[in-house]
Amino acid sequence: MLNKEIKEKLRAIVGTEHVLDANLDRFGYSYDSSFVPLLPANKPDVVVRPRTTAEVAAVMALANEHSIPVTPRGAASGRTGGSIPLAGGISLALDRMTSIVEFDEKNMMVTVEAGVRTIDLYNFGAERGLFYPPDPASWKFSTIGGNIAENAGGMRAVKYGVTTNYVMGLEVVLADGTVIHTGGKAIKNVTGYDLTSLFTGSEGTLGVITKAILRLIPMPKLRNTLQLMFPSLDDACNTIHKMLQSGVIPAAAELMDKTCIQAVARHRKMDIDPAIEACVVIEIDADDTEALAKQSKQIEEIAKSFYVVEVRIAASPQEAEDIWAIRRGLSSAVGAMAPNRLGEDISVPRDAFPEIVRRIRGISEKYRLPIAVYGHAGDGNIHPSVLCDLSNEEEAARVHQAVDEIFAAALAVGGTLSGEHGIGITKRDYIVSALGEGGVRTLKAIKQALDPKGILNPGKIWN
Amino acid sequence: MKSTGKRDRLQDVHDIVSQCDRCGTCLPVCPLFGVKDVEAASARGKNNIARALAQGGLDATPDVLAAVNFCLLCRACVDTCPSKVKTDEAMMAVRQYFADATGGAGIKYKALGSVLKNRTMVKLASGALKVMKRVGINRLAPYGMAPSEFTREEYLARFAGPAALGAAAPASPATLSDNTKVAYFYGCGMKMMFPEAAKQTVAILSTLTEPKLVDNVCCGLPHLAHGQKEDFLALAKENIRLYAEADVVVSECASCSSMLKHTAQYLAGDPEWADRANAFSRKVMGFTEYLVKAGYKPRQKVDATITFHEPCHLGRGQGIKKQPRELLQAASNYVEMPGADTCCGGAGTFHMDYPEIAGVVLDKKRQNIEKTGAAIVVTECPVCLVQMAKAAEKSGKFRAMHISQVL
Ligand SMILES: C[C@@H](O)C(=O)O
Repeated sequence: MLNKEIKEKLRAIVGTEHVLDANLDRFGYSYDSSFVPLLPANKPDVVVRPRTTAEVAAVMALANEHSIPVTPRGAASGRTGGSIPLAGGISLALDRMTSIVEFDEKNMMVTVEAGVRTIDLYNFGAERGLFYPPDPASWKFSTIGGNIAENAGGMRAVKYGVTTNYVMGLEVVLADGTVIHTGGKAIKNVTGYDLTSLFTGSEGTLGVITKAILRLIPMPKLRNTLQLMFPSLDDACNTIHKMLQSGVIPAAAELMDKTCIQAVARHRKMDIDPAIEACVVIEIDADDTEALAKQSKQIEEIAKSFYVVEVRIAASPQEAEDIWAIRRGLSSAVGAMAPNRLGEDISVPRDAFPEIVRRIRGISEKYRLPIAVYGHAGDGNIHPSVLCDLSNEEEAARVHQAVDEIFAAALAVGGTLSGEHGIGITKRDYIVSALGEGGVRTLKAIKQALDPKGILNPGKIWN
Repeated sequence: MKSTGKRDRLQDVHDIVSQCDRCGTCLPVCPLFGVKDVEAASARGKNNIARALAQGGLDATPDVLAAVNFCLLCRACVDTCPSKVKTDEAMMAVRQYFADATGGAGIKYKALGSVLKNRTMVKLASGALKVMKRVGINRLAPYGMAPSEFTREEYLARFAGPAALGAAAPASPATLSDNTKVAYFYGCGMKMMFPEAAKQTVAILSTLTEPKLVDNVCCGLPHLAHGQKEDFLALAKENIRLYAEADVVVSECASCSSMLKHTAQYLAGDPEWADRANAFSRKVMGFTEYLVKAGYKPRQKVDATITFHEPCHLGRGQGIKKQPRELLQAASNYVEMPGADTCCGGAGTFHMDYPEIAGVVLDKKRQNIEKTGAAIVVTECPVCLVQMAKAAEKSGKFRAMHISQVL
């Protein structure tokens, strides 16, 4: 519990109305979009909503002095509990820091505050013919600060990479309130350790990201979306695999299995042939119609060789947007199908994709649990969702074994625990098996050096 | 019996809100979160407050009630939600839970509810206003809507009707080909606030059919929304009885038609009423929905630029989006405004409780109307129309009318 004096000081820093300590407000900042149970609520003692870096620095200095836990938060759309204030203390909500600070046209870079929504950044670029590619499913509401802290991926990773590939530099407030600037606009930069990459994906445990310099690339002139339906999941995987091997690199290549298709059909009036086992959604882009048509034709041909039964090419940007809206909402739609859902985020080498999908189906059969499978087939990042009822003890035991086996399978094919969601709370039990004792000790040593009092987002990444 | 009912109520709430996986898709579309951007004000926030209440993680304290009252019931969140979590129904169910627990709705809502329940009072609008003055809600006038600077007379003056558009319109050539018995549902808001527009509705209906005028009672939405479910059910049954003979029931108030279409679901568990309620709800049509179906052609094409505010109860509530626009295109120089389907903040009694927030929500709407350069904004719901009139008053650049006054 924070005493009155500290709350007064916080109010003096950010303004009275931006310090929330009513019970309902604390409750509102106790959860995120992970499957960490809502109750018992992990309420912060106080929610603090700074507007400037100076305010963040002052809050951190105060917190460090009094050893108060601080958990940074953007839109709480994360999937692993990253913004849940597990140890109470301060929920540091950065969603008021929404300025686009600078647009550097010649270098094609923007400097933005942490609370800028990803979609606003995208639109800002798009209006100027520039492209910010990373598009996590949450991009219409998540913040760029959260994307960087989790090193979020998205659909377009297959061709354009993930958040870290666009972060040139950061402004970070350290645990003791010191403000540092990492990286910069120089493309080549080996001056000291690569702290920009270190803070990217650090899940709020090493510092508070307050600003970022991001690079943009020229916006592709044309885009289109294809939706392919297959009677076999293997053939859907094979199509994507073959496509990439033949040098057809789509902007995005997403796969969903039958359970996912049903989850979608549940809320939208859609006629789906029961023989369909998998759906692949592809985005292609190019600078002229010819190149676009060529890609589309190549994809169709490959799909045909793998017995595709339906090829739908979006006839308008609206139709394309509708298809992608379904894909972005998939995780939630799947989650709503059962009392509980354990959604994972494993990532494997691209060529192991069909193999991991087969193994997951085996695990599903072995433990008699529906496991919905969808994900970024183009880059090997897959979200198996175990649908279950954890209030049934016998079933809960099976669920935990199944999850253990999914992680083991991912590691066995040369993959890893998390592709784009981070470890947070939900995967910390598995970090040692992924990184080894030595690896985790190294993470801890870095943490100890930057946050000796352990006030930044305690309880995350490892146990 | 009563306590079982209460538990059931929370179970109903839980069934709805446990479908929310807190992804945040609803955050940017909630008009209230757009004005007050703290979690508890968002749809996600309120659903999870409701969930914690149902699971015993939060007590039924006044701040929880205040949180669920801080909802326009506009369904923008439901529309965008990947799992279509019915936030509006959950909020109404929690309000009802509180009403049951505390032995009734708050005094304001009760007073308003009884006014609307009483046919005579609704008919004598001035009488209604007097009663409201007594209970201290006179500023808000019927349905909690009209600001102090407007009296009913001023409204009438402001809503001069189609005369404002030029010469009187000739009768529409549209005819109705079958023997459908069409009845009109005269909602309280139209009755008390916009009787002139209601006359136009009836006149338009009369070009297509012989609309049966029924001395109906309130649709019950205000009661349902604020924890007076018993009253709501009594009103619903009375209306079902009154319209037993009709084949089609038409209302130019989107809140009424939406409520009446949804009435069946609230009587589904009542063996005596379920079938009749079902038959009743199925014959309800929104005004423009009926007009398009009946092949109505607007009486004139005016040389005015008109834009349309889409009532929540019309678009999201009933899926009626194309029809009003189609008719307006035929009747005027129609322009679509940005965010036409964003709630105007009028919703029910919302601004009794939160006048300032409602003001900001409406201001955004006003700016969007101004962007179109339209001379007139029309809508299809008296609740919205009061809001549009307020926006028009503040702007001075456009006027507000009911859609029946320009078709
Ligand atoms: C869950 C999120 O990462 C997705 O890809 O839908």
